[in-house]
Amino acid sequence: MTPTIAVLGASGFVGSRLLELFHLTGSATLHPVVRNYSSLARLARFDLDWKIADARDQAALTTAFEGCDAVVNLVAANPDVIVENATASYLAAQAAGVKRMVFMSSASVHGQAPAPGTDETSPLHSHHRFAYNNAKVRAERALIRCRKSSSVELVILRPGIVFGPRSRWVSDIADQLLSDCAYLINEGQGICNSIYVDNLLEAIQLALTIPAADGETFLVGDRERVTWLDFYSRIASGLGLDLSRAARVGAPQFQAGIFDIIDGVRTSKPVQALLPVVPGALKQAAKGAIQAVSAPPRPSPWRLRAAPAPDVTEEMTQLQLCSVQLPWVKAERMLGYQAKISFAEGMQRSLGWLQFAGYPTVM
Amino acid sequence: MTDYSDPRQLVLVGCGAITELYYVPALLEALKHTQIEVVAFFDPSTERLSALHKFFPKAKPLTAFKDLIDLQPHLAVVASPPKFHASQVIALLGAGVHVLCEKPMASSVAEAESMIAAAHKANRVLAIGLFRRFFPALQAIKALVNGGALGAPTSFRFTEGGMFNWPAASASFFQRQHSQGGVLHDLGVHILDLICWWFGDPASMVYEDDAMGNLEANSLLRLSFSNALTGEVRISRDTPCSNQYQIDFERGQVVWRVGEGNQLEMRLNDVPFTLAGELREKSSPADTYHQAFVQQLLNFVSATRGMESVLVPGEEGIRSLRLIERCYANRKLIPMPWLSEPEQSKAQSLASGLA
Repeated sequence: MTPTIAVLGASGFVGSRLLELFHLTGSATLHPVVRNYSSLARLARFDLDWKIADARDQAALTTAFEGCDAVVNLVAANPDVIVENATASYLAAQAAGVKRMVFMSSASVHGQAPAPGTDETSPLHSHHRFAYNNAKVRAERALIRCRKSSSVELVILRPGIVFGPRSRWVSDIADQLLSDCAYLINEGQGICNSIYVDNLLEAIQLALTIPAADGETFLVGDRERVTWLDFYSRIASGLGLDLSRAARVGAPQFQAGIFDIIDGVRTSKPVQALLPVVPGALKQAAKGAIQAVSAPPRPSPWRLRAAPAPDVTEEMTQLQLCSVQLPWVKAERMLGYQAKISFAEGMQRSLGWLQFAGYPTVM
Repeated sequence: MTDYSDPRQLVLVGCGAITELYYVPALLEALKHTQIEVVAFFDPSTERLSALHKFFPKAKPLTAFKDLIDLQPHLAVVASPPKFHASQVIALLGAGVHVLCEKPMASSVAEAESMIAAAHKANRVLAIGLFRRFFPALQAIKALVNGGALGAPTSFRFTEGGMFNWPAASASFFQRQHSQGGVLHDLGVHILDLICWWFGDPASMVYEDDAMGNLEANSLLRLSFSNALTGEVRISRDTPCSNQYQIDFERGQVVWRVGEGNQLEMRLNDVPFTLAGELREKSSPADTYHQAFVQQLLNFVSATRGMESVLVPGEEGIRSLRLIERCYANRKLIPMPWLSEPEQSKAQSLASGLA
């Protein structure tokens, strides 16, 4: 008998592919759960019994999960929602009588460039530079606490760079290559820790069914040791572009500037809670002062036009400096996980999607 | 100069997102230039009626469509879900009301034909809300195609869409029982309307989409015309799109970026630069996207007084619907090369069930 699975965050990139694969292969009866009607656009290609529920609304989630054997939690949202959703979705699953939840965490709980020897037993911390990493750490901790006092089985997966159809890693890099804004740090020799989306879905299938997986956390990845040069090269090749045109840059130093600090304070929960009672005039004055200080200087009219320049981000810098291939031996041993789709095949399928989306591929 | 002095009572039918985000601000501006008055608005949802009440506090909120007819208004804007357009528009026309109907005009060509017949019978105006025809940039393209300043058009490539972000107030967009189609029936109506307006009806076409049991999120249409013009249209609610229309002519190329009411780019063969800029009418900038929407309302009001012809009457609105029906009748599953063989086989059988 096929299981009935609620897919929370079903309109995202992984969720969309999950619906395709599981529905078209008949491996599960699916109940996609999305936050609003607009999020139905992608999944409405199929005739599915969808539900609307905010990721933090425990009562709405309980209703959405009713009748389901399992929940696959793929919520991709801002950090606060990721954390709040963890407890809300788990308690909702408990109330709805769900047997197991598979939670999509991220290898970024170990940082974008983890230390040698990192595996599932490595201690986590929540003072990463990126709020997303910290949110995933906090969400994992909240779920593990819930599991200790409740009966819904819990499996946590930590994929690295998930790529495939609709992945931003594919479309963003294609866009950068096409606009001459792509860049490689350290000649692209950093380890990508890629996982083709169908391999991740294979891990999800196993995580849903292997009894011993309950309470466990698994790193998962592709079988190959993929460098960023490999990753960019495949996309460039599929677009008929010469990767030598990509800028080779040194790793810049990133430090939190005054505006990062201001933004951190502005978006913090206590300040957000206070904002409604701050007079509008005072808010406008503060906003104006910040904008005045942060306004860029007017460029000199004598300056020649600059060629397109890559926007080197801190996240990509750290990712491209990664020197560690994260192990998935635990997933192999306990789940029987194998990355069935090779990196080359995964990239070929991703390029097929680029062609589908109208990119100028040369396949 | 058009005379808008004749007072007219207008009713709004349907209070969803399109009404709140487009018709309300456009009407508030149009009211300054005409003597129309919004006297009532109808929606079965009291929640939606409450959302609109603040804009027209003197107007009557109505949950029964019949009560709207009983008010005997002069004008109506119908912006309800498309499956209600035909019955509501025909009822209004039959009661002597001039109607501006939001796109798509109807759920089917047959319905649209009955709407046109009702307008003729009642001798009332039936305008269709294909407001892009009011964009100066798109009127300029029409002039270029007709006038031949760049020579004849030889090919075109239109790409539009992206992740769906319209604040849908209900699920009707995505339910087969409420909507006759997906992205082609929604966004595609605008694009196919422009194609009909600029180039005429295609001689042949090949249509593919990704509906697998329900409504498509991606559509790909290839068209050929009797004058050797060929074109490709790619529309999506799912994938990133460049959102630009490119038309190649014998002596140059025109590019329009979606949403730019009065902006256009032009390349002339043998000139190594692109002309890109704002269209002007005398010394003033031509109408923007939002101003064009207001112009649509003014054109409708003016037409009801016999002072202008309707830019998009029912007879024009139905053309894109005819093309859409041709597309759906001949739909094929769009290749999705990332699907495995078993998935493709199942996808094919689900898609075939829609034909």
